[in-house]
Amino acid sequence: MKGFLIWNIQRYSSLVILCYLIYIFSFILLSENKINFFEWSEFFLSFQSRFFTSIVFLFLVMHAFIGLWTIGTDYLTKRTLGFLNRSLSERASLIRSLYFMTFGFLGFMYLFLILYIIWI
Amino acid sequence: MFGNKLEVSMYRYNPEDDKFPYMKQYKIDKPTKDIMVLDLLNLLKEEDQSISYRRSCREGVCGSDGMNINGKNGLACITPISSVIKRNKIELRPLPGLPVIRDLVVDMSEFYAQYEKIKPFLQNETTAPEQERLQSPEDRDKLDGLYECILCACCSTSCPSFWWNPDKFVGPAALLQAYRFLADSRDLKTQERLESLSDPFSVYRCHGIMNCVNVCPKGLNPNKAIGEIKSMLHKNKKDIIVSDKI
Repeated sequence: MKGFLIWNIQRYSSLVILCYLIYIFSFILLSENKINFFEWSEFFLSFQSRFFTSIVFLFLVMHAFIGLWTIGTDYLTKRTLGFLNRSLSERASLIRSLYFMTFGFLGFMYLFLILYIIWI
Repeated sequence: MFGNKLEVSMYRYNPEDDKFPYMKQYKIDKPTKDIMVLDLLNLLKEEDQSISYRRSCREGVCGSDGMNINGKNGLACITPISSVIKRNKIELRPLPGLPVIRDLVVDMSEFYAQYEKIKPFLQNETTAPEQERLQSPEDRDKLDGLYECILCACCSTSCPSFWWNPDKFVGPAALLQAYRFLADSRDLKTQERLESLSDPFSVYRCHGIMNCVNVCPKGLNPNKAIGEIKSMLHKNKKDIIVSDKI
């Protein structure tokens, strides 16, 4: 994948997350009455909220994975782990793959649960 | 000027004798005037002949004596001790992130490999004019702040991204030079140069923490050059998308 694409995904996803926060806070702050459970449920059950939430959490997972990928390729390399221990350094590729798989799986599960809760 | 004695703590490592590096403490008479760190090293070497460090021009032109002085990279020959001394003490270490050959001498192969990667020479395959390839004064001005780099490696070795990925991330010094040729109106390989920098590591590992700007002994701004490269990559990508549509 090109660096350009990764860089842009990370920047634009953060802007989408910011828009979502504005959307949520504007509902809270602009509500005329004190928000109760029913109003909150109604807000979140609307199609636009569910759709926006789904998009935002997809971007959130992508944003987080790029950040974690950057950390993994910085600190879980043969060179960097070699500062700690030689045997760790020799297993750097395996450790990094496990790290990516763990966070990939957690990200996928997180997104799956969010979509499940929102839509089903 | 500084009292009686000056404490110098120096990184020492001779792979032939030492199993591990260590810090050696020296105490010398305080100089009567403000001298450069390189002069201090020369004084120490008179006491202890085994101390190793690189030096050549002793006036900030050759870039040989880059080192970590009290936690900040700089050139020993143009750094007055008065500007770095803390509690009567100076700590000298080799440039961080590069393998140490001996004492303050580091192996700069990884640094030069990245410099080589960006093809730091003018590429223009058109027939050369009789005398020289000319530029307008405006085009020439674009190279100011870029060509002055002396490749001392102070910037690249203060960059965490370069510490962790010296084989993949080009580093601020080489990226400054990459932009020096991208910005040169006489160079015709802009597209190829940008393509070679478009992977996720070469340029995009720079997170803009600006350590490079903070330490550059020549007062250059590699971070700005990296921003310009990113901007060119962005425009280049958009051009490709537009031309594909057409």
